[in-house]
Amino acid sequence: MVRSVFKSFLNLPKTITNISILTPSFYRPNSISIPRSYSTTRIYLSVGKKIGSLFSVPVGEQFQEFGSLFSAKYSTNGDGSVDTGIGGREYLLMSDEELMKQCELSTFKASGPGGQHRNKRESAVRLKHSPTGIIAQAVEDRSQHMNRASALSRLRALLALKVRNNIDLDTYTPPQELLQILPAKSTIRGSNCGPQIGPNNPKFALGMQALLDLLFAVEGSVSDAAKKLGLSTGALSRLLLSDDNLRMAVNEFRVSKGIKPLK
Amino acid sequence: MRLSFIRPISCCSVSSPATSVKLQKPLFLRPPTFKTTISDLKKWHLWAKSLTCSVGSTFLELDNGPDSELLLRELNWLVEDAIQTPKSFLQQPHKNYNDNSSVSIRASLEQLYMLWKQRVEERRPFQYVVGCEHWRDLVLSVQEGVLIPRPETELIVDLVNDAIKENEELREGLWADLGTGSGALAIGIARILGSSGRVVATDLSPVAAAVASYNVQRYDLEEKVHVKQGSWFEPLRDNEGEFVGLVSNPPYIPSKDIGGLQAEVGRHEPRLALDGGASGMNDLIHLCDGAFSMLKPGGFFAFETNGDEQSKFLVHYIETKKQGNFSKVKMVSDFAGIQRFITGFRGR
Repeated sequence: MVRSVFKSFLNLPKTITNISILTPSFYRPNSISIPRSYSTTRIYLSVGKKIGSLFSVPVGEQFQEFGSLFSAKYSTNGDGSVDTGIGGREYLLMSDEELMKQCELSTFKASGPGGQHRNKRESAVRLKHSPTGIIAQAVEDRSQHMNRASALSRLRALLALKVRNNIDLDTYTPPQELLQILPAKSTIRGSNCGPQIGPNNPKFALGMQALLDLLFAVEGSVSDAAKKLGLSTGALSRLLLSDDNLRMAVNEFRVSKGIKPLK
Repeated sequence: MRLSFIRPISCCSVSSPATSVKLQKPLFLRPPTFKTTISDLKKWHLWAKSLTCSVGSTFLELDNGPDSELLLRELNWLVEDAIQTPKSFLQQPHKNYNDNSSVSIRASLEQLYMLWKQRVEERRPFQYVVGCEHWRDLVLSVQEGVLIPRPETELIVDLVNDAIKENEELREGLWADLGTGSGALAIGIARILGSSGRVVATDLSPVAAAVASYNVQRYDLEEKVHVKQGSWFEPLRDNEGEFVGLVSNPPYIPSKDIGGLQAEVGRHEPRLALDGGASGMNDLIHLCDGAFSMLKPGGFFAFETNGDEQSKFLVHYIETKKQGNFSKVKMVSDFAGIQRFITGFRGR
């Protein structure tokens, strides 16, 4: 089994001010951040026993928080890559149960005795994926169980966005899960791929991860990646822009490489 | 499928619980037969928000109740349950003050004013206001007289699931949920059992038994879950020694603490479901005492407690007073790190 390597690509110097403001909230026991929609993230900070919504930040900054946590946990090499012996693809192929086993689960540290004493409908769930330090949380659902499911699917998306698999461009052939998210007009997409899988399909994360692996390998060049996928540059751009998470991740990487973001 | 509101439970040997109890249909299940205008609904929403904001942190300081932020989240949920198309209403908060187009709601506008007044001014629990609680992947009907299932209790279903995976015999056997309340545990467990697995759910309260039966019907589990009205093990005497599993979230709050509970709980939820006597453990000890004779060898039990102190006491109680009867008796903590549950197996 080839050892896979993944990179932390989010510790960009220009964002350090933001990181130093936002990071402490994650180390407070009661803090919760909620990606309420793809476009904004609300940060809940705790003040004593009380949980208050203080401010909203764009989702890009949320990535930076995760990125800073991520790099805080591991000493990175010069190029920002770290070696955990397991690649992001393996994480995404795990069943929910296997993935949960790798996570620390916590909820609001309820003040007081909880249980029958309490009726507050605080069902927030926070999952910390131990091998990568990535944290996913959910609070918007009305039951703990559903928040756990939301947090887990959010964790899958974050793993896809943040954990890179190394690929060799010379011998590269796109994996099946990547072909499945490509539009039908791709010339390398066989008829056995079925209809195109969109962002709402749970399988999308795996394809998104493979697409980002390729984009990182070609240093963010959409036209180079498009060639490997049998697509026009325009068609690949449209795919990259079709999902907010994907768009943010690609643009953040492109900006770090001095390329202008896709619009 | 339209559900009949009350249906007698055919297999109920002790009594028919649903006969004398008036069931309240959850708001979200009522037909959207009331009409109002967007602008009138907006007025209500603004009024409700300002009433909510005036609460600030007074309830929190008074009795650890909800602050206005939590109440605002509940208000959104009320909108979700009351309006046929809540998304378009909630997502355009500032656009339609003069919009006279009609909107369908599941309660009259007057009722919505009254419900939110009750929520804030009388501290009526939100779940009684909308008549339901989201619990695991279920939406359970609740009403006054029935304990609102708590998020902590969701974990018992996971504990049962773990036990079932270890031992397939448990998947196809007979389970009991003692003091079922809304039927939450019984329904949650029935949904993970195999085709011949069954649950008997008991409750002393006729309201609870009726509401539990309604929830069982809503999830099409009449074949799997039998609701029986009666105290703890009494309705189960016919099946003594046949159970592969027992679960319960019995009342466990010490009587002296009842007065200090947050108003939503202390003033509105049934004392029968909360008050566990002087130590809080009257019912828990009764359950521990009865578990051995009810369970088959190898049968599993999981009980919820008031937390650390009670769990420690009960594990010690079982290990000393019931020496040799049970194996693998342990405490399990809830998501907040409190040792909330005790679990174990009857010895073989």
